[in-house]
Amino acid sequence: MGRVGIGLALAAFAVALTLPQFAGPFWMGLVTQMLIFGLLALSVDLLLGQTGLFSLCHASFFAVAAYTTAILQVRYAVPTLLAAPAGLVAGTLLALGFGLAVRTRGVYFILITIALGYIVWGVLHRWSSFTGGDNGVTNVPFPAVGELRIGSHTEYYYFVLAVVIACALVYRVLIASPFGLSLRGIKASETRTRSLGYRTGLHLYAAFVLSGLLASLAGVLYVYYNRFVNPVSASFPISVEATLMAIIGGSGTIAGPFIGSGIILGLRNWVSSFFELYATVMGVVFIATVLWAPDGIVGLVNRLRAARARRKAL
Amino acid sequence: MPGGGALPPGTSFPQHLALTMMTGAILQAINGVSLAALLFLLASGFTLTFGLMRVVNMAHGAYYLLGGYVGLSTVRATGSFALAIAAGGAAIVLLGYLVDRFLIRRTGENHLAQVLLTVGVAFVIGDIALKIWGGDSLKVHVPELLRGPMELPGGLVYPAYRFVLIFFSIVVGVLLWVLYRKTQIGAVVRAGVDDREQVSATGINVDRLFVIVSALASFLAGMSGVVGGAFLMLYPGAEWEILVYALVVVIVGGLGSLEGAMIGALIVGLLDAYGRWLLPEFSYFVLFAPMALLLLVRPRGLFGKDI
Repeated sequence: MGRVGIGLALAAFAVALTLPQFAGPFWMGLVTQMLIFGLLALSVDLLLGQTGLFSLCHASFFAVAAYTTAILQVRYAVPTLLAAPAGLVAGTLLALGFGLAVRTRGVYFILITIALGYIVWGVLHRWSSFTGGDNGVTNVPFPAVGELRIGSHTEYYYFVLAVVIACALVYRVLIASPFGLSLRGIKASETRTRSLGYRTGLHLYAAFVLSGLLASLAGVLYVYYNRFVNPVSASFPISVEATLMAIIGGSGTIAGPFIGSGIILGLRNWVSSFFELYATVMGVVFIATVLWAPDGIVGLVNRLRAARARRKAL
Repeated sequence: MPGGGALPPGTSFPQHLALTMMTGAILQAINGVSLAALLFLLASGFTLTFGLMRVVNMAHGAYYLLGGYVGLSTVRATGSFALAIAAGGAAIVLLGYLVDRFLIRRTGENHLAQVLLTVGVAFVIGDIALKIWGGDSLKVHVPELLRGPMELPGGLVYPAYRFVLIFFSIVVGVLLWVLYRKTQIGAVVRAGVDDREQVSATGINVDRLFVIVSALASFLAGMSGVVGGAFLMLYPGAEWEILVYALVVVIVGGLGSLEGAMIGALIVGLLDAYGRWLLPEFSYFVLFAPMALLLLVRPRGLFGKDI
């Protein structure tokens, strides 16, 4: 991260800290959502940006974690201190199972993850005696640990912000580690990395499970924010939108997925307020991103900067 | 008496139960095979375009839905089911050509880009269809001749339309197979699946071949929307449900294999029917779990080749 990068990060942090001072509850809700979905997009990008695997089942981990926490809290009155970790464990266990998909590559991996994602959606949707069917689970309380309880959306926003910052720091350490380096080696050329003695399959599996854990964390944060959860959270559009967020912001970076989440959720809120066909607009965003901004905003900025540097050098 | 209703004279309860189970099993078999017939129509196009062009077209489900809606409006306007099939197919041929020519072709062989792009296309199609045809579940009207109930040996009554569909799908399957395996154009397509550069080097216009195969696939998708819309409903969201079924068919059968699509469709159709009947809450699990297991053993599906 250059001096500009650190400056930008500090400025963003300062804005994030003071935001509740001048933004109303609607905007705070939206920003909290942006952070949560940014985290989901970051989990997708741990695979996409670092290893090159394109997974379309991350909504499953997100939803299973959210459902587990919600059902434990609401139906069994389990305290947050147990319910939230249980959600993480459930989502991660699912990732341990689905992770076997890393036996395949390329288009097969894409298609298999789509199908796996649909298992989860189908079970949540049809197993109504346990999951509540299309109505899902409602009335999830704010998290509370003993006497410490979160009482407002603003407090919850600060909590989410803290978790997101912690995740970003850990993520940064992770991708700078030898393990992160091996993942990028696999992305560049799996055969070459394997010939250097790395067990590439195992590394990809580990990355998949870690990415599932991160998606589960986003799911737990989401259910406490949203206060209810239904099968839509496990649906294919969520997975594919998370991918789009990562790409539009800038895949392979930490800030990218959050920028992308901000753009997509902001755009959706803005467009749907005056235009009925907002799904069409989202579709057009998909198409336009693929055709004109495949490297996202961060890529676009880098390209402009490189062009300026070239002009300076001349 | 457990179970309520009167038993036929001379049968005990276990006998009655066995009989009901038998009847159920047979009915589900027909349900499964008729769903398989529809899935084959849809998946054959998907698998052929992938085999030849390496294109993953996630808009295939939206093609199905839109073709169905166009057919529905055609039946309402003209009353002709045959015309509806032609119109549904033709509309998608035109749309599919435009999407191929102006959008998909620009993604090269980047599957990630193709998936995102065609998901975008599917969003647009689905949203516009919702605007035009509304959010209710609609059914394509089938002519009297094809619709009536049919009595099977053993006193089972079943809608005749599904048998017509099974028969129709077999005819299409045989035609496709002959075209693919026994004609010169089929030979060129198969060669293209194996090695596109080589085919191009022998002086065959691969681009024109792509357009033909893609048009055929689009027609199959639009047509299956019409015939499928006559027994499954057409509604917003149906495009993703049917797409996932078609994906499982091609994954199980192996991408790019016509025979694989036939076998895959049968497996998926039957698993779905029996799953819904015996374990309604876990029918998706019954459908997808065997697929996942199969793929762990054979990642390329039953008939797939290394790509």
